[in-house]
Amino acid sequence: MFIIELCGIPIRMENRYSYVENQCRDYRSSRKDYAFSVFATDKELKEESKDGKFPFDYCESICLYRHICEILPGYSIFLMHSSVVLVDGVAYAFAAKSGVGKSTHTALWCKTIPGASVLNGDKPLFRMNENGSVTAFGTPWNGKEGWGVNKSAPLGGICFLERGEKNAIRKATDEEILTKIAHQLYLRGTRTSVDLQLQLLNRLISAVPYYVLSCTVSPEAAELAYRTMKRNKEEFEYEN
Amino acid sequence: MRIDKDFTIQKVGVSFVAVPVGETSKNFHGMIRLNETGAFLWNKMKEADQTEDSLVAVLLEEYDVDEATARADVQKLVKALKDGKVL
Repeated sequence: MFIIELCGIPIRMENRYSYVENQCRDYRSSRKDYAFSVFATDKELKEESKDGKFPFDYCESICLYRHICEILPGYSIFLMHSSVVLVDGVAYAFAAKSGVGKSTHTALWCKTIPGASVLNGDKPLFRMNENGSVTAFGTPWNGKEGWGVNKSAPLGGICFLERGEKNAIRKATDEEILTKIAHQLYLRGTRTSVDLQLQLLNRLISAVPYYVLSCTVSPEAAELAYRTMKRNKEEFEYEN
Repeated sequence: MRIDKDFTIQKVGVSFVAVPVGETSKNFHGMIRLNETGAFLWNKMKEADQTEDSLVAVLLEEYDVDEATARADVQKLVKALKDGKVL
């Protein structure tokens, strides 16, 4: 059993395997108090492991994070499956269907844009702030590449990636924003949790600019995306 | 026709969305987008058993539409919900 801090919320992890403890080492807290605690039941572990196909210690970590993500919407915090890159203290999120090249594009940013680094490559958390802004947070759950750090930054935009013949970026339509973003949210659990997530989604869709990037695997794709998102972030802030 | 599955309906931006909750979310994945009349009809099917005619009737009562349009809307929604295995 140990306590971690995610987005400033102390959470007690009632683990039975050391895998998750090791995974969470950068997020350990010395606090004694906690907002809530999570544990995985035998039944959940068995289901998650597909009857032993996946190791139990890994599955415990998945189950614990799932529970955390069902409770955090009560704190205006939610999981959005995406890759978040930090540049000059601003977070930019990329979302795509699996296999489209989220990791490849993330790696391109880090290689092409001076000072770019990965905040979280897979399962970052986002907090909807009272003033309407959004903050992105690193988490111990950062994908198979293990890209991530325990930092946070204001979210400057969300970009949906698509594979294309050439590089082009445009603003996403309202229709696209809702459909595409819903795919990346957890949106499961109890009625209370889902309702809270939908209320957060309702605020999120107008909180940051959204883009659709059609791209090839090239440094030009990363440069185009960064240039556009950085410029529009500034315009967006001016308009709001 | 009655919707007996556990969904929540919320307004997000300009649309309404229906998302499965609790046990329903284990067998039903994804989100259904509805327009305002779709959400209205959904709630009527949630409250009580309905027929195509009864849905057309409530639509005519609530909205300023002609019967042909109302019936077309009802049929379209019912088909979508049947295709999506909600009904």
